Parts: sequence; C-alpha cells; structure tokens
Amino acid sequence: MANQESDKFVTITVDGITARVPPGTLVIEAARQIGVMIPHFCYHPKLAPDANCRMCLVEIEKIPKLQTSCSTPVAEGMVVKSSVPNVEEARKSVLEFILANHPLDCPVCDQGGRCDLQDFSHEYTPTTGRFKELKRIFPKEYFSPLIETQMNRCIQCLRCVRYCDQVMDVQALAPSGRGTMTEIKHFSIHELDCEFCGGCVQICPVGAITSRLSMYDFRPWMLKRADTICTYCGDGCQITIQTKDNELIEVNSTHGAGRNNGDLCPRGYFGYHASVHADRLNHPLIRQQDGTYAEVTWEDALELIAERFSQIKLAHGADAFGGLITSRCTNEELYLFQKFMRVVLGTNRIDSSARYGHINGIQALRRVQGTHRWTVTYEDIVAADTLLLVGTNITETNPITGLKVKEAVKKQGAALITIESLLPIRGTISNITTLASHHVPVHPDYFGLAVLGLIKSVLEQGLATASLSERAPTFVQSIRSAVGKVPWETVERHLGLGRDTFVEAARTFSQAKRVIILAGQGVLRAPQGSDVVTNLLDLLILTGHHGRPGCGLGTLAEENNDQGAVEMGAVAEYLPGPSELGDQTARKNLSKIWGDEIPQSPGATLMDMLEEARTGRLKAMFIVGENPVATLPPQAKVEESLDGLEFLVCQELFLTETAKRAHVVLPACSYAEKDGTFTNTEGCVQSVRRAMEPIGESRPDWEVFSALSLLMGNPIEYGEAKEIFKEIRSAISGYGLLGPSATPPRIKDEVVDRYLQEGFKTDVEVRYAFEQENTQPDEMLTLASVQSLFHSGKFSTRAKGLLQIQASGFLNVNPVDATRLGLADGDPVRLSNTRGEATTKVKLLDRVPVGVAFFPEHFDQNIRGLFSLETDPQTRVPYFKLTRVRVDRMQEEIPGKG
Amino acid sequence: MPQYEKILLKNMEQPGYSGSLQDYERTGGYQALRKVLKGISPADVTDIVKNSGLRGRGGAGFPTGVKWSFVPKDHPGPKYLCCNADESEPGTFKDRQLMERDPHQLLEGMVLTCYAIGAQTGYIYIRGEFRLGATILERAIEEAKQAGYIGQNVLGSGLTANIYVHAGAGAYICGEETALLESLEGKRGMPRFKPPFPATHGLYQQPTVVNNVETLANIPHIVTRGAEWFASIGAPPRSTGTRIFCLSGHVKWPGNYEVPMGITFRELIFENGGGMRSDSKKLKGIIPGGASAAFFTEEHLDVKLDFESVAQAGSMLGSGGVTVMEEGTSMVWAAMRLMEFFYHESCGKCTPCREGSSWLLQTLQRIWARRGRAEDLDMLLDLCKNIEGRTICAFGDAEVAPVVSTLRYWRNEYEELIREAEVTRPAKGEIPVFTH
Ligand SMILES: Cc1cc2nc3c(=O)[nH]c(=O)nc-3n(C[C@H](O)[C@H](O)[C@H](O)COP(=O)(O)O)c2cc1C
Ligand code: SF4
Ligand code: SF4
Ligand code: SF4
Ligand code: FES
Repeated sequence: MANQESDKFVTITVDGITARVPPGTLVIEAARQIGVMIPHFCYHPKLAPDANCRMCLVEIEKIPKLQTSCSTPVAEGMVVKSSVPNVEEARKSVLEFILANHPLDCPVCDQGGRCDLQDFSHEYTPTTGRFKELKRIFPKEYFSPLIETQMNRCIQCLRCVRYCDQVMDVQALAPSGRGTMTEIKHFSIHELDCEFCGGCVQICPVGAITSRLSMYDFRPWMLKRADTICTYCGDGCQITIQTKDNELIEVNSTHGAGRNNGDLCPRGYFGYHASVHADRLNHPLIRQQDGTYAEVTWEDALELIAERFSQIKLAHGADAFGGLITSRCTNEELYLFQKFMRVVLGTNRIDSSARYGHINGIQALRRVQGTHRWTVTYEDIVAADTLLLVGTNITETNPITGLKVKEAVKKQGAALITIESLLPIRGTISNITTLASHHVPVHPDYFGLAVLGLIKSVLEQGLATASLSERAPTFVQSIRSAVGKVPWETVERHLGLGRDTFVEAARTFSQAKRVIILAGQGVLRAPQGSDVVTNLLDLLILTGHHGRPGCGLGTLAEENNDQGAVEMGAVAEYLPGPSELGDQTARKNLSKIWGDEIPQSPGATLMDMLEEARTGRLKAMFIVGENPVATLPPQAKVEESLDGLEFLVCQELFLTETAKRAHVVLPACSYAEKDGTFTNTEGCVQSVRRAMEPIGESRPDWEVFSALSLLMGNPIEYGEAKEIFKEIRSAISGYGLLGPSATPPRIKDEVVDRYLQEGFKTDVEVRYAFEQENTQPDEMLTLASVQSLFHSGKFSTRAKGLLQIQASGFLNVNPVDATRLGLADGDPVRLSNTRGEATTKVKLLDRVPVGVAFFPEHFDQNIRGLFSLETDPQTRVPYFKLTRVRVDRMQEEIPGKG
Repeated sequence: MPQYEKILLKNMEQPGYSGSLQDYERTGGYQALRKVLKGISPADVTDIVKNSGLRGRGGAGFPTGVKWSFVPKDHPGPKYLCCNADESEPGTFKDRQLMERDPHQLLEGMVLTCYAIGAQTGYIYIRGEFRLGATILERAIEEAKQAGYIGQNVLGSGLTANIYVHAGAGAYICGEETALLESLEGKRGMPRFKPPFPATHGLYQQPTVVNNVETLANIPHIVTRGAEWFASIGAPPRSTGTRIFCLSGHVKWPGNYEVPMGITFRELIFENGGGMRSDSKKLKGIIPGGASAAFFTEEHLDVKLDFESVAQAGSMLGSGGVTVMEEGTSMVWAAMRLMEFFYHESCGKCTPCREGSSWLLQTLQRIWARRGRAEDLDMLLDLCKNIEGRTICAFGDAEVAPVVSTLRYWRNEYEELIREAEVTRPAKGEIPVFTH
C-alpha cells in the first residue's frame, strides 16, 4: 500500500538532482525548486501555460521528442535533462529564430539591462547570426497615451494578451495578423481603452510594451529602487518606486512581491506623479491680515502654532481643540497625532477619514465577533468556493482584492454571488458582475434590502444550520420573525426582484464549504452601513459558516490606511488597539507607556466637531491631510465651521480648499518621501519606505507633531519612524509582527456567544425593518457619487498619467435613460434638485443601471451641492453619496463651437 | 485496369443521384442508423469501428475507434463531435465532393458517431470557401431533421443528436484539430499544445472527437456491412478500406479516385489517371499525401498507397492528395511555391514555425532569384532540423517536408541555381526583393 507521503508527492530528477514535488507541478517549476533555471519567455506562473515560445524544451527520458517544460506536469520517476547537447542546441535555435527578426535596438530600449531576451542571448547564443535576409518591420502605430508598443521588438509570447485576459479579465489585447506578421494590437479602431493596469508592460519579457510616462528617461541600471506601499486604496499593494537623482522615474511591482503579488492598477502604476506635482507646498505658510500667505521658516510657523495652541488651551480648555487626520498617513503618524492630541493638547476630540465609512464595518465586526479585522486573508479569497460581494464595484474601488476574486472565479471555479447595482455588461474595463454565477442587480439604495432577501430565502428554504436552533433559538427566531415582517411583495416592489431571485443564491451560499463575504462602499458609505454588515454576519452565523476556517467577512477599505487609522486610535471612540475610550485596562497600560494621563472627556467625531465649531464651542482645529471642505457637501457648512475657528492649522501637500482657510499651513511629505507602515484592508501591516528626499522644505507629518510637542513643553520625541513603531508595538501587543502575509485574528467565541444570547436583541427589529419608500419620481435619476478606477480621492487628480486617462468628471447614464431623456453621448446637461444645480457632460455606459447615474467623486466640485447629507445616529458616519436629480439637456451652444 | 468496388463515391456516381434524402434513402441510407437504434449499444458501435481497422482520413491516420474509446464514458458535462471539413491542404479536394454530392452519407456517419461517443451535438467545421457545400449540408440537415434522423429524439429512440454547420474564415491552420476547436469557440484559430487531447479536453474543455469528413462517411457502411467486411478491403491489417485519392498535377485525368488502399502509385497515376499529361515527358516527382508530405520520385512509383508503405518510403499518406510533376518542373521552384503557402499560413503561435517559415521562404526565393550562396543549402537543412519536432502542431513538420525532400532528391537543381548566382553576381548594393 502506498503511504500517504507518496500519495502527495512525486519523485522527479532534473539534471541529476532528485526531489519530491506535489503532483501537478510543472516540470519548469519543479526544476526551479531544485535550483535549475530553465530559460523561458512565454511561461509565467500567473498564466496558464501556452507553450508557444519553445524556449523551455527539455529532454524527458522515454519520450522521443523534446518537451516543453512549461506545459508538462511532473510524473512519478520522471527524469529530465536540461543541459544535454540537443536541448542546448534547441534553445540556441529558438533564440536564433527570435533574433532573426528582432531589431536589436537595445541601445534605445527601456528594457535594455533587464530584458529576458538580452539575458538569454548573452547566455546561450553565439556572437554572430546566420540570418542575412530582410527583417520584418511593422510600421509604427500610435497605441495609447500611456502605453507604447514597439512591435518590432515583440517576440509574440502572448504574455500580455494572456495576462489581460486571464488575470485582468479585460481582454483589451489580441494578436493580429498571422505568421511572422503577428503583432499585438488592441481591440478597437481607436486608441487603447482599457484598465491601464500596466500589467502588460510589466509582464512583457522584452521592450515591446513600455510606459510612455518614463519613455527614454533612463537606463534601468541608473535607477535606485525603494519597495514601498501604494497609497491609493485600501488594498495595500507593494510597489517599487524607481528614482534617478531624486527624480521619480517609474513605479512597478515584482511578481511574488507584496499582497498584490506584483499586480497593480492604473493608480498604482501610472499615478505616481501626484507626489511631485508642481503645486506641492514647499514652505510653511502663515496667513497675513490681507488673507494672503507669507512663506515663513519652520521655526516661525511652529512657534506661532505652539503659542496659539497654548493660549487657546489656557483660555478654553483642552476640549476646545479638534483634530482631523487623513487615513493616508502612516500608522506612526496616526499614532503620534492621536498621542499629540491626547497628551499634549489633552483632548479625545480626534477623527480621521476612516469616519467616512470604514468605521461602520469595524464596529459591526467588533460587536458580533470581537475582532476589528478580517478573519480571512487574500489567500482565503482565492481558495473560497463561494464569494458574496455586496455593494461593491470592486474593480474600481479595490482593484487588487478584485483580482483575488477574479482568480477564485476564473482559475479555481468559485461561485460568485453579487449584490450590486452594476449591470453585468462587459466594457473597456472589467466588470465583476459579469463573472457572477448569481447576480442580484440592486438599486444602490437597497443593498440592505437585498441582504434581507437573501437571509429570508435561507430561512424559508430551511437552509439555516440545525445546531444553531439549539445553541441560540431566540436569535434564529427573532431574525425569522423580523424578516417575516417584510413580505416578498415589499422586496419585489423595491428591488424589482422577488423570491425566485434568491432561491439559487441562498442555496449556493448555504451549501458552500469556504465562503467569503466582501462588503464594499455601497454598504459602508450608505445609511445603516453598520447594520447591513451586522446582518451579513448574521447570515454567516445562520448558515453555519461563521468561524469555519477560510470563511469570514471582509469590509473593503477605501483609503490605504483606513484600517490603521482605527487601530492607531485616531478616531473619536477608540484608543490605540483599538480599545474603547472607557476601557480602564487599556487606559492604564497606555498612560504607563505615555507617562501621562489620558483625557477623561468623551471624543468627538468629525460631524460633531464641525457642529461644535459652528456653535463656538470648538476654538481650534488641527487638520492633517484632510480636506472636508471639498469632501462634504455644502450642507455640512464646513467653511462656516472652519471660518468660525479662532485658529486653524493645516498640514498638507497642497493648498487645498481646506488649507486655504487655515491660519498656518505646514508642508507635509508624501508617502514617497517617508518611512513607516500602512495596514491594508485585510489587516496586513506593511513597510512604507522613503524613495526620495522630501520636496522643498516639506517634512514627514510625525516630525511635525514631535517638534510641536517640544515647543509646547510636553516633548514626545523620536529619532525615526521605527522608534514610534516600537512604541506602537508596546501599546498594541504584537502589532505588525505579521511578516509578509496576513495572519488574521480569530473570532472571539465569548463575544459571539454574548451576541447570540443577548447582544443581537438590542436592535434586531430595527436592523431588519424596512420602511424606506421609493420616492424617485419618474423624471428623476438617482445620482451616485462613485469612485473611478482611474482616481483616488482628490490626490490622484494631480497625477499627470491618470489625467491622461481621465481628466474630468462626467455623468454616466444608461443608454435607455439617455434615450428617454433625449440625451446623446457628450451632451452638456444640467443636473438639478431642490438643493441646487450643476452642469456636466453625459457619457453613456451600458453597465449603469437604468434610473441611476454615476458621477466620479474626484471631480467637479459643483456636483457636491446636490447631495443630501445624513449622519448615522450610531456610528456618526456622514452619508452623502446618493441623491435624486433631474437631468436636462442644456440648449446653449458649447463655447468655442460654431 | 482492375475495377474496385467503391464505397463512398458509389451513390453519387449513379446517374441522376442528387444527394437528396430520398435518393440517399433509396440506396439504403439511414439503415445503419435504424439498425443501431434497434439495439446495438454505443460501446458495440465503437468496437465495430475499432475492429474494422478504420484510420483517420484527415492526415494523421489515427485509428478511429481507438480515438472514440478515449472519450470518458462517465463525463458529467456535454461531449461533442466535430467534423473536420476544413479541407485546405493543397492538392486535396475529396471532402468537398463528399459533402456536395452525398451530404446524408456524412450526416448519417455523424449521428452514428454522436451515438457511439455519447455526444448530443455535432459541428461541421467547413472551410469558409465551401459556400456551396455549406448550403447543401444545411439543407440536408433540415431534411434529415424533418425525417427524424437528426435532432431531439432521433427516430423515437430518445437519442439527441443536433448537427450544425460552422464556416471557417480562411485559415489553413483551422484544419488542425485544436485550432479548429479554438476557432469554433470564437477565438483566434491557433493550435493548443497537447496533451491534453481533445478526447478529454476538447471543445469548451469538454470531451470531443474530431474526425475528418471521409472518416465519418465510412461509418454507416461499416455499421451496415460489418467490421470484417471493411477489414478485408485494402491492405489489412494496418490500412483497411478504400481511400479517395485526389490526383492532380501533370496527369491526363486529374480527379478523385476511390480505390482500396495498397494499390501502387503506378496504378493510380497510369491506370486511373491515364498517365502523364504529355506522353513525351517522364514523371519527375510526386507529392504523395498533400502539401505536407515529403516528395517522392519516379523511383517510388511501385510503392503501395497504404499508411505503412508510404511511411517506410519516407513520406506519408496524409490527406490523400497526390500531385504529380513531370520532367522539366523545377523542384526548387516547387519547394518555393509550397513554402509560400506555408509562410502565408503559419499561424504565428510558436517561434520555430513563425520565424522559420519566413526565413526558409526568403532563402528559397533568393536562391530562385539567382542570389543563392553556397552555404545556403546546409543552412536550409539545419533550419528545417530546428523546426521539425519542435513546434506545437504538425504544421512545423509539414512545412519542412518539401524543402528537405527536394534537397534530398534534387540537390543538384539547387546547386545549379547557386552556380548561376556566381555568374550573375549582382553589382554591389543591390537590394533584395522579398516583401512580407
Ligand atoms: C496544419 C494542419 C492542417 C490540417 N488540416 C486538416 C484538414 O483540413 N482536414 C482534416 O480533416 N484534417 C486536417 N488536419 C488533421 C487534423 O488535425 C486531425 O488530425 C484530423 O481532423 C483528425 O481526423 P481523422 O482522425 O478522422 O483523420 C490538419 C492537421 C494539421 C497539422
Ligand atoms: S494595461 Fe490595459 S491592455 Fe495592458 S494588461 Fe492592463 S488592462 Fe490589459
Ligand atoms: S508585446 Fe511583449 S508580452 Fe506581448 S507578445 Fe510581444 S513580447 Fe510577448
Ligand atoms: S507550428 Fe506553426 S502553425 Fe503550428 S502552432 Fe506553431 S506557428 Fe502555429
Ligand atoms: S516557456 Fe515553455 S514554450 Fe515558452
């Protein structure tokens, strides 16, 4: 009988070295594990083998012809020879064939020096070639603003085409022409229109596809590299910033590196110029009597701040201060900011951009399962057999988490349930709902109702796990009775989808073995965000998946360090940990580390601070990297609040709408210029490394807090970011000891028990109640402020590369609505509602649901005025992403057109 | 001249035979299907075909029944049958006749094959230029459907066999079975690497049998008349049955000749084909099995037209296209013309074929244009060696066959051209003529 060991492994010998590898391993990979590098072009571990380049031919004993090692799986006892004469000769000949038509323009090729063709030619070919005929020449064709092709260099390995299809699910590229005239083109008569993920550039083994952003600016060996983390979304991709003489040249990522495994999105790959935009603040500024700003020295600026802060503290007490920081900062800076606010100024009135929605998810997770993080990882997503995505256009908000979902579905065959407003229609960029096995198209107002429908269906079909009825009978009973109060007719009236829609999805979900739920911005940034997440956790519990290995719920962070901001205690309700403000053990521990008292008074969230500023209770604010003036709708009266302050300090990269109201503006460093850590959406703590010297006189944020503390007579000093991290580790035990992969926390059984016995009772009725009535008059559209794949916040609108893809906002509407409203692509339109009006242009998009229009949140400030504002009674999250508008075609001629 | 019984061309050679369902039924058509549905199990049908010794008529000559038996029996998803009607091999034109003149013979073969392998869907992937054939087949499918031979519940037996015609778009490579599958799936027609083979991972990654038109057309006859009958025809045990040889070139009567395998080239060319077109010219070269097969010379006239004999003599029976060339034909020119075809048709997927085809062609064109060099000939052979056996599909082996074989038998013609080049060596700076 074969023992277990040999069932799981096969023995293979490569060039005389024997090893045991799992069955299914490709010979090329087995050889690599043994230490034999078999040269290859078309093979890439990310892609399904294509065996087209023939570079990896090897001899396999008992097989007459040479075999491609990239497509041959190992077999028991296989003996492979990779350096025998006929293999070497084959290799040489493949190179000879490739070089025959290759232009050999290495001196001007951006790939020169890091090119597989150069390396293998150097290693395997003679110095002279036999090809004396005419080389094939492709005429130069314009490809796209950001991506350049040099098809004469192409070796037709199709890696780019396969990547774009298999990994990205975009399918923008295709080989065209045949035989030696095969070249890579994009599908369309106009220039390339795709996700611009840069993946094709990265995966091309030669210089046939390159980035135009850095074309001819460098030779690879001149570049200095720094591995750091992208700051454009919560996915936390590892990027390598390449500089030449302190000048940003390019950004890329290496296969196998980071949580992204070398994949990037357009923001990461082409968005790096935002950091070095000409408008970066170079000097501290102090506002003069006449409203202009004077450039001053750091000493002058900091002294003024220290003086005014001290005066205000003396006159009005510590709670006259409010602090707001962006979650784009490092953990070290977030930590130090809250420490500065708590210890030096003495107040808990702190908030960060995690308030815009991420906090909703964290509160639900803490409440139900006692964790503040995901209990699953990206690897679990890939290994899942069923995924449920709720309210997320994941491709555009969290593209890399999206790739994990795509991998699960496309490679591993997972079932995908999407509760999303997007229609499953393909386009120039991918659309996750097209991969769904069960798509529930839902108006963006009703994600919660659709979740309710799914739970209702689970209960109705008797799919709830039997043991739960014993463990927590009231829990099951309460939910059953609560969802029973919302009849299918109500669901149907609002969703346009009835009981039948949910039957299959509920069954697939319940019967799965490894289930992951991902909740996105459509849930987290909409009313009752926290409730919907709680209900999704209920769903996991009801179906018995909760707590099972590989199963869990993740909330998708929009900003790169939303998660860190909460964990560092840079929010009103938490100390570092996060621990509740009132948690005595945590307080005691912290005061010991800080050598100082922790303020007793309650915290205040963003919306409360703004309110207090308006009423005059709050006298001064310290705003770091946040721009509430441009983020919140005018109804929030942010300007009024800020203008009423006695003193406003802004620490910023640019003179933003908010910074323009400050008394003192301090120039901060971008992520590219500093060290520290970010914590990504799945809770992985990763190193941020300085890639270049600070621009102008800008300083990392933490240095400023430290310097100010010194001037205010309560020094919290550190020599470098690492020292702060050390302190974080003592404040939050084990923080960041996670290594290259996430080690997620386990759910706390006692918390779950408490929730199941008592906790759920407080609001189960409310969470499952549905009172909303559809109030959309026929002539109105629902306007949703959404995130674009090509931008992130407002920061990215300074990145020249991204602006070339998308330079302005436009109203995406479904062609059906366009016809109904008499609109054509490109038409100027006026949007109006009771709150005001705004103008923009129309762009038709098939995937936008009928009755809904999308507008990218990054552009056109006047649109914001149309949105309603509502603050969550519990989590104090301001909601301002959805509204109703009239859309009218403007009659006026567009200026300049005759 | 000996007379042989025809199997496949028999019906259509009857006067007035139109290929309609009525005509086909009158000659005993669809009786095989009726017989099978009355109680021969799919496994038994496969065994009958296995025992008949039938080998594929598309080119590779793989035993048909064996191929069918590789299809997993217990596969949970759909299975497919694809009829390879792409017939694009230069010098090959038999499938066209079979489809245009007796479509139901093919359709009955397909329904029987669907039954044997458990496929509910069969596609006929037909060469794009065969408009007429496609129309005729579509009409025949309609007729057969009406009569209950095709579609849901065939002849009330519960069997489902739907058959569809899909036209190619003009690429030779789409005759290669895996490129055919890609094309059928709506993708660019490029071969897949093998294994896995279509029998387990074919159309849409489902078990699939790909068979040539002629192969499938034989099935009804084998079922009706039995494996032993079929196995007794031709050159048993390895080459059973008849083959339709497509005789072309410098012969008196070019055309399709259905004869038992095992007759000699001499018989085919001189008895069936009436001999050389000009009595004063001797035979110089033969392409024995379509453009992909290595040349023969007059010395091979007594080689037998069966799989083994042709292979032993250094070529292959291939697609059955026999092209004859008379004395006076330049074999360099012939090789170059064939290479032009292969250069034009290489799909471009794998390096040796993609780059090699243009290199070979440019060199041949140069030699033909009296610009050859002494070292060219060994280099040509070396390039061929570097292509053969190192490509994804058999196209690589095919494209080198004409070059290698003409160099084997007529190297002197190459050398002569190169000698002429020495004499007419161009003025310095002359620009070569090749255009891609
Ligand atoms: C380049 C190339 C072209 C081919 N073209 C054809 C063709 O036109 N018709 C055909 O039946 N088989 C063609 N084949 C052979 C097929 O790949 C396959 O072997 C055949 O369809 C199997 O059917 P059979 O077993 O009935 O012969 C071609 C093979 C190659 C390599
Ligand atoms: S940049 Fe565009 S074409 Fe290239 S892989 Fe990404 S999506 Fe595809
Ligand atoms: S462009 Fe690059 S990746 Fe794409 S086929 Fe050519 S060489 Fe390969
Ligand atoms: S051998 Fe030629 S035709 Fe066959 S896959 Fe390779 S390039 Fe294409
Ligand atoms: S790497 Fe194996 S064939 Fe290209």
